[in-house]
Parts: sequence; structure tokens; C-alpha cells
Amino acid sequence: MAHPRPVELQINGEAFALRLEPRVTLLDALREHAGLTGTKKGCDQGQCGACTVHVDGERVLACLTLAVQVEGREVTTIEGLAAADGTLDRVQRAFIEEDAFQCGYCTPGQIMSAVACIREGHAGSDDEIREFMAGNLCRCGAYPNIVAAVRRAAEEAA
Amino acid sequence: MIDFDYARASSLEEAATRSRLPGAMLLAGGTTLIDLAKCDVVRPELVIDITRLPGLRDIAVEGDRIRIGALATMSRVAADPGLRAEAPAVTQSLLLAASAQLRAMATIGGNLLQRTRCSYFRDPAAYPACNKRAPGSGCSAIGGVARGHAVLGGSDACIAVYPGDLAVALTALGASVVTTDREIAIEAFFLAPGDTPERETILTPGEIITGVSIPRGPVARSSTYLKVRDRQSYEFASASAAVGIELDGSTIRDIRIALGGIATVPWRAQAVEEALRGRALDETTIRTASRLAVEGAVAHGGNAYKIELGARVVARAILTAGGLQ
Amino acid sequence: MSALERRAKQGDASDGASPLGRPLSRADGPDKVQGRATYALEQPVAGVLHCVLVQSTVGAGRVVSIDRNAAEASPGVRLVLDAGNSLRLRPVSDFYGNKPEGETYTPFAEVVEHNGELVAAVVADTLEEARAAARLVTITYEDAAVIASFADARAGEGRPVEAQDKGWGDVDAALAAAPVVISQTYETPREYNTPIEPHGLVAHWEADDRLTVYEPSQWVDGMAQHFADWFGLAFENVRIVSPFIGGGFGSKGQPLPHSAVAAIAAKMLGRPVKLAVTRPQTFTAYGGRPGTRQTLTLGADRDGRILALDHEGANETAATKTFVETLGVVTSMMYAVPNLRSRHRIVPVNTVTPGAFRAPGKNPSAFGLECAMDELAEALAMDPLELRRLNEPDHDFENGKPWSSRRLLQAYDVGAQAFGWARRNRTPRSMRDGRQLIGWGMAVGTHPVYSSPAEAMVRILADGSVEVLSSAIDMGTGTYTILAQTAADALGVPAERVTVRLGDSRLPRAPVAGGSQLANLMVGAVHKTALAARDELIALGLGDPASPLRDRANTLSVEGGRVMTPRGEAVGIAELLAATGRSVIEVKRDTLPEGERSDEERRKFFTTMAGMERGANLPVSRHSFCAHFIEVRVDEDFGTVRVSRVVSALDAGRLYNPKLADSQFKGGIVMGIGMALLEEGVVDPRNGRILNANLADYRIATNADVPAIETISVGEPDYAATPLGGKAVGELAIVGVAPAIANAVYHATGKRIRRLPITLESLV
Repeated sequence: MAHPRPVELQINGEAFALRLEPRVTLLDALREHAGLTGTKKGCDQGQCGACTVHVDGERVLACLTLAVQVEGREVTTIEGLAAADGTLDRVQRAFIEEDAFQCGYCTPGQIMSAVACIREGHAGSDDEIREFMAGNLCRCGAYPNIVAAVRRAAEEAA
Repeated sequence: MIDFDYARASSLEEAATRSRLPGAMLLAGGTTLIDLAKCDVVRPELVIDITRLPGLRDIAVEGDRIRIGALATMSRVAADPGLRAEAPAVTQSLLLAASAQLRAMATIGGNLLQRTRCSYFRDPAAYPACNKRAPGSGCSAIGGVARGHAVLGGSDACIAVYPGDLAVALTALGASVVTTDREIAIEAFFLAPGDTPERETILTPGEIITGVSIPRGPVARSSTYLKVRDRQSYEFASASAAVGIELDGSTIRDIRIALGGIATVPWRAQAVEEALRGRALDETTIRTASRLAVEGAVAHGGNAYKIELGARVVARAILTAGGLQ
Repeated sequence: MSALERRAKQGDASDGASPLGRPLSRADGPDKVQGRATYALEQPVAGVLHCVLVQSTVGAGRVVSIDRNAAEASPGVRLVLDAGNSLRLRPVSDFYGNKPEGETYTPFAEVVEHNGELVAAVVADTLEEARAAARLVTITYEDAAVIASFADARAGEGRPVEAQDKGWGDVDAALAAAPVVISQTYETPREYNTPIEPHGLVAHWEADDRLTVYEPSQWVDGMAQHFADWFGLAFENVRIVSPFIGGGFGSKGQPLPHSAVAAIAAKMLGRPVKLAVTRPQTFTAYGGRPGTRQTLTLGADRDGRILALDHEGANETAATKTFVETLGVVTSMMYAVPNLRSRHRIVPVNTVTPGAFRAPGKNPSAFGLECAMDELAEALAMDPLELRRLNEPDHDFENGKPWSSRRLLQAYDVGAQAFGWARRNRTPRSMRDGRQLIGWGMAVGTHPVYSSPAEAMVRILADGSVEVLSSAIDMGTGTYTILAQTAADALGVPAERVTVRLGDSRLPRAPVAGGSQLANLMVGAVHKTALAARDELIALGLGDPASPLRDRANTLSVEGGRVMTPRGEAVGIAELLAATGRSVIEVKRDTLPEGERSDEERRKFFTTMAGMERGANLPVSRHSFCAHFIEVRVDEDFGTVRVSRVVSALDAGRLYNPKLADSQFKGGIVMGIGMALLEEGVVDPRNGRILNANLADYRIATNADVPAIETISVGEPDYAATPLGGKAVGELAIVGVAPAIANAVYHATGKRIRRLPITLESLV
């Protein structure tokens, strides 16, 4: 039926020419085809947030997005967050400072979500951060530190 | 997921035409379709991506209606200040749904068409019997664990709950669904399961939702959406209620109520509305009347609590909308 | 209070200058925040095929036939595997001593004993092809009757586990004479570890007899031995690589049937195979905590002194495999109980074999005991904290030994003070805020201290930097960081100059990261090794003819990466090595018992649980302790419970890194909140299927479910417990959270909920 077809993705400012079946999700395209394994697969069904990436600046779940759907759109993953010279984003720094993770597996999704959360203006209070970060599960239970990190980064951004 | 072909529609007409092909399905935000394709509940052969269609994204307050394009995302609509002022229940229903990521993906049209979370429906490998998936095959929920299932609007064929929040708010506010062919009052849009649980809406093949239209007015402006769930966030409703109210001093001039999380479709509570129109806004009155919301409810497999909970959620939503708390 | 401000209170024995005990940020942090930490399925192995599992859809019955044809004909498929065509392995005992029957072993079920059991697998060129083909495998079963859980009357009472019997005094007489007696039954449901990284592995045969496995592992040496035994290989010929683990909580301690599948497929196809267990499949690929129930009878005098405790516990186990959730472990050591009896039973049902899940035994044990204590306090009209103070034991009544340290009374004082417990009105339903009923509850937790032997290697490199090498792992527990701190501390170099390499079975050996033992035992082993390396460095400085410090002093010290005489003359480590022509100082040490260091004994210590039992020989009883004070708000209409405030005071001895230990404490509390209010495996009584085998329906706490949490360390260095003074950290804080919440719910509502989770329908 549907054979692999050329799919060109813009990821972190770089063009990736891939050959993908239409059913390949953005998450599997990143991890299995583009060599970008920073985006994590925790549930593959939209229930954990570990695969959060930005598409045209908005946070979305890569596991429920077809790769072919985002042709022509700008995809940003955790690998593309730090500056070109390696300087970490303020959210990345805040996560380290506040110890906002343990095992680290949900962390890329948390950070991508946090960057968007701040940009959306949803980091105004601890309760607002908790609600707008609720789509990223953390089984290590780093939530209090995640809230502190988002607050810290949001204050720096203000 | 089975193998499927993919096409990007460049016009509504093209999307409508292609969607009539066997095995064709429309793809918008993908949060239902891709999920269910992975569960093997839907097996599309052709996926028609409508996310690049021009228009269909606007949110406009014009005349006596608020119009929202079908392809506007939940997050964009939730952030719209005009809508928040005109119909706060709609804004709240969106913000209390899913997660920020899912809201950034999911569209208003797709949201209305989200499918039930019934565990048996979602697990075809272990539960071949599901009248919604395979008409005539039976219902695995009836006689099984059904804590999350519907107590209202069910039939012998299906007790799967309608999972959404937005449609509940729209039902309370008397909104309509606009399609390529017509405008449909939302209460007529959703179909209770009856003997044909596989038919969830009155959409016909090739008919595509283009938007929703909400009447403006005092009821919508004084509206609220209340959602009760096990988890604080990122979860479907155990029970929810949308209430719009128009007060004349402390008298209820008009009121509109709908429930979610406890019925097979967004559930209008007309009996409660009638009992309260013209009555004083008073907690005892409201609590008594709210019990009418769950009249005729039937419990199955561990969901009896939803009957009491439904009545209480309605009461509290009315109290909130009426400014009593 | 920030971790830094709290440092002085955290039982930190350092003076602030030495690296160990400082709240350094996580050494692996920069990699983790940039997506550079490489988890198992992300290891760059070229040419992998993808394997997808097929699990049973019935709860019991014989597999009559499997039709592989359609799957085999599906595009991209290389192999469809089931018991009929799988390579047969040698049977190997699991962690808990269950050994598969028969001469040979296949990971695929021929007789299904639980729903979701592994029956077949498909290997294809791409993940999408393997997934699609897996749907096409048609399995025919001869159905058998299913006993889905021990709620099914047909499950019966099960069988006693005599090894868990314990008791002293005359319980029956004491209870008969006790003026106040309460007796209640407490239940916990099946709970699942659900690390956010699901199970999975890449199996790669580098040669016919050499296997490399990239699999998240809490114990690379134990797993290597298991694979070696399966395939009849030498231990050295299996390499397990697991530098990062996306959470385990007990679930990643040993290879599971799917692990064998990937290795079998890779062997049969001559290609590396990647196998990702899907999230729904994880619920039956590993068991998690079994359902438990326990009946406690407590008798006390009118002043509140406990006279007797009678305890009967039971847990679900698999149809033919045994797992014991030791429900009597906290019961028997927490209070001064002069007469005690504890019995345990296991009840076989059609479930996957349950397994270890954070604080196995301790956690549900404390749920029963600590709820019962609250009920006893109620019956006595006493403050529950006072009841506990009154029954504080001056030694361990179970074994008669003194405590190595037990600072629970301090935890009571400090925790109660910070929480404001003194303002509590004992009467239920006495506090509210609008339509929210407010309740305050407390409970205690504990975890034993284990410390198996370990090896470690320390290398001082030519540039003066240091490497620490160990097969120990870091699943977020902080091993990378605290071992760097330990080596830095012993060697006198800055912690940033130390690189730690972990999670590879080629490195010096370590026991399981379980029982909250790893930090203490590895810190001990690395400290010993680093001191030996330091001695060697000093010997070089004092004695090597080419040393710039030769004949300058009788002793040397190492500080700040410089080797120094007492008068302050110093050379850098790199300088000293260069001058003496050394490229590296490499030292390997271990903490094995003298006389048990043969290769065979070594292997036993690192591939079995032998090391963990050694504590039984010590003259002291070693435990960490904590006291949780929790506020809940219960909506009076909806019955929804939200935790609004947590103060926990914890005695975990010396904290090697207070910042990271604090994260573990908070993480345990967060998991405890989920356990109390959300988590429950829902079993279909008709077929034993887990109905909520996903992360939307098996609810774990979200960020929005968790309030600010205040943790206070009251520990002090306990050198009787471990060489460097630490006690158990990782599993401590979850213990006691659920009963504290249940007790708070009672205080808020006047309703005693004795079955977890506490969901709204029980309070509507």
C-alpha cells in the first residue's frame, strides 16, 4: 500500500531528508530515523508527556503526531534548545539547579513543556505552574522541584 | 497501526469527496485518530490531513453569536479573551480538559468527535465484543467493571460514556454545530447509543464540521463549568456540569444545564432547568431540584456513585454560576 | 527552606569544605537536560531489527495453536516466534527462587497462567511493520477457569508462609486481658512501578558465544549471570550495558521473559534486535506490588501502652510462582510490643508473578500498622502522636538488639513543630474551609539498612583527574554524583575533577541497587579504594626517586588536587605523576569479607542476594525512620481528597548529598500520595485482564496533585550502621505516607477508609 516516501523535516533548524511510511509518528521518526533520541517514549499514547516537542513553537506530543504532518513546519526538540555555542537555556539551567529530575527520562519532555509554559504566560504562580505542567508525568516525583525550576526560569525571563 | 496512505486536502470540497472513499478518515489534531489507530480500534486505509485547509480557525464574536472555526485548537480558543467574557463555561471546559500539549494539538471539531474511553472499546484484542466497534457483537462493559461508565442514556447495547468537556458546555449554552451541509443544534448532533452505538453523531458520510456557533446572551455570560475527577488534572470527568444562568435580583430568570462524565452523550438537564426557572436562588431549592438531573439513572458494575455525584455536581455548578460560592 | 539552608540540619557531618555531604548538583544533570543521556533503546547499535511482543488475551488455558502465517507474510517480517519454534534455553531461578519447570525454558507460554502473558513475538525490519504484523498472529486457546484476584472466593485462603512466622510472649492471654482492643482489616490493591521509561532492550550477539545486552538494569552483574545461565555462556561472555535507567523502583532488577525473547531472536536471526515493551504490555511484563490484606488486632492498657499485637497478612501470588509481600516487617519492629504474633499467607491467583516495588513489604506493612495505631488512639481518646511516643521502643523487640540509631522521637518533635500539630483538635470534622473539610493525620515509616559488599576501582590519571569505575547503577538515585564526591573527599581533589563510570558489567562488580543499599555500600567501597589510591600517590611522592617532594617531609597530604608537605610545599598531582613517569595510578579494592574472595565467592556476592543477608550477623538493628504529618482537604459534596500540606521529618543517618537525598525523600512522598489516592490495578473478574493498563487509567500523581512538601532531616551520622554513617534513603519516605493520608481523611470526615486507594465514591 503506502510505501516509504521522502519526507523532509525541519528539526532544530536543520533539514532532515528521511524516507518514511505515512504511519510513522514524529516520535519514531526522531528516535529511529533522525538519530535524535533526546525525545522520549514513555507511553506512545498521549498519556505521559515524555515526547513533548515544539512544532512551530507550540508544545505538542510527538507520539500522536504523524511525521508527514509536520512537513514544512519547524520542529524543536530538546537537542535544539541550548544555544549554538552550547549555552544552556535558562530552563535547562534551572532544572539542574533545582534538581528537578532524578532518572531523567521525563526530563526532556518536562523541559520542552516548561519552556512553552513560560512563553504562554502560564507560570504566574506555583498553582498555575502545577496545572499547566500536569501533562508531564514524573514517576520519580520531582514535581516540587520542577515547580521551583519553572518558577526560577520564569522569574529570570521576566 | 495498519499501513495507510496519507493525503493533504487543499480544499473542504476535496476533503469531503475523498472522505467518502472506503477506509478514509479525516485527520486534524490526531489526538483521537492516531491514538485509536495504535489501539487497533480504527483501521484507516487513507488518512486525509485537513490541518492545512485555509480558514476554519477564527474565533469571532459577531451579532448574537460566537463563532469558532473547527480547526482552531483548544489552546487558542481557551486563550481567547472575547470568548472568556462571553461564555466562560466554554473557556473553562477547554482548560480543564486533557493537558496543555493535547490542547495545543486538538481542534474544536475533533474535540466534539472524540471517542469514549471505555476500556473494552479500546482493547479489541481481548474484548472482541463491543457493539460500538463491531455492531451486534455484544457489550463487554455490561456485566463487567464499569466504574467509569454511563448511568444515563445507556442501552442494552452500550453504556460507554461520552468523555468530552467542551460539548457539555456547548450543550448547556444551546450551541450548534456547523457543517459543510447544515447547522445542527448540538443536542441533535450526538446520538444516544440505542441499538446503534456505532453511530455517535448524525454526521453523514462526507459531511465535515466547519465550526460551532454559540448564542450570546446573559446565560452564556454567567456560565460556569465544574469538573470532578479522581486526579487533580489531566483526566476525564467522573462527573461534570455546565451551567448558564440569568438572574433577576435573586430570582432565576433563565437557566441552562448540561452534565458530562455520567452519560452516553452530553446530557441536558431540562427537568432541573424547569424546576428552577422563576425560583429564588437558594441552596436548598437548588439541591432539591438538582436531583432531577439524574432521574432515571441506572447503575452498572461499580458506577452507582455517579448518580449521587452527578446531582451534587449540578447543584454546586448552579451555586457557582449564581454567585453563591 | 532550600537544600542549602537546610544543610546544617541534614545530619551532614562535613565541615562544608569536604565534598562528601555537600549539596552538589547532579553530575549527570547537563547530559539529562540536553537529551544526551543515552538510555538502553537509544544505544547506537547498527542494523537492528524490531521485535514486538504478543501477549495472551485470556487469563488461563492451554495454547492450542498459533497461526503464524499471516504475520509471516506481512511486509518486512523476519521471524514470528512462539514456544513452538523458539530456541530453548536453560531454566534459571528468578530473584525470588522460582525456577521454571522442565529441562528447557522458553519465555513463551504454552499454558497461560495470567492474562497478558507473553505468547509470541514478531521481528521485522521496522517498528511499524513489526507492530502491524503482531496483530496478525492468531492464537487459539483452550480456556480454563480464571481466578482473577483474591477477592474471588474460589481463591480461598491460600497457604501459609512459615518463614514469615514470628512472635513472642502470649498474645492471646494479653489480648484477653487488654482493656482496649481494636481489630480491623486493611487492604491495598495491585500497584505498578510504571517507570516512565518502559522496559525494553537491545540484544546483540557480538560472536556466537558473546552477548551484549543494552537493557535498563538495577543490577548489571545479576542480569549478566541470568543471561549467561539461560544461554549456557560464561559469565564474562555476557555484557550488560545500562549507563542510564529511566526509573525502576524495583522493576528492573532481573531479566524478564521478554529479555530472553530479544536475545533469542537476535541469536536466531544473526542480527541485533531491539525490543520495546509497550506501555500497556508493561503491566503484565512485570508484576508490581501484589494486592494485600492484613488484619491487625491491637490491645492496650487505658494509658495507651500496647499490650499485644496480632497480625495476619496475605498477598496475591501467581498461580505457580511465589512472591511474598512481607506484610509483617514493620509490624514487628516499630513499637514496644511485649506480646506479638504475625502470620502470613500467599494466595495463588491468575496474575503475573508480582515483584518488588519501592519498599516491598515495608510499605503496605506500615499502611496496616499505622492506620491501626490511629484507630487505637481514637479508641483511647488519645493524640495519635502521643500514643506513638508512649510506645517508642528502646531496642528492637523483634531481635533484642539495640538500634544503631533511632531518632524518631526527634522526628516527632521537629515534624510536629514545623507542621503545627499542637494546634490539632482531635475531633473529626472539626476543621473546614468553605465546603472543604480539613484533616490532619500523621504516620511513621521505616526502612532497614542493608549493605552488601562491593568492588570499586579508582584511577588517578596523568592530567590529575580521577576516574571511579563500578558496575553499580544510577537510576536517578545520585550514584554518579555521590561517588564523585566520595572519591574527591578521600583523595583531596575537587569533585569536578572526578568522572564516574557506571552501569557496565565489565566494570568492577556491585550488588543489586535495591533495598536502598547501593549508596551506602558504594560510598564505602569507593572511599576505601580512593584512600588506597591516595596512599599510593603519597608513597610515590615520598619514595619515588624522581618525586619533587622526596625527602621534603615524613608525611604528605593531598588537598585541592595538590600533594603537600606539612610545611606547605606542594606539587600538582599531574606534575607528580609526570615527574615520576607514571601515566596512571590504578587501584581496585573491595569490601568483601576476609576469606570470601575466591572467584566463586565473589560471583556469589554480586549475582545473588547473599550480601544483603549479612546484616543479620551484626550486633545492632539498623533502620532509617520518618514521621509524616499531612493535611488533606476533602470536598464535602464530591468526596475528592487533595493533599494540601506535607511535613516529613526523616532520620536517614548522614546524607552524602543532601540536595539529592532530599529529592529522593520528596519523590517517595509523591509516590505515596498516588498510592493513597489514585493507584489501583483494576482487574476484570471475568478474565483477569488489567483493565487500566495505561497511564491515563492507571493514575499516578500529576504535578497538580502534589503540594509544597517540607522535608527535614533529623539524621546524624550512624557509623554503627554503615562505614560512612548513612542509612537507607531511597525507599524510606514512601513508607507511612498512605496511612498518614488515610488518617487525615478520617480526621477530616470521620470516615475510616481501610482500603486503598481512597477514591471519591467511598466518601460521597
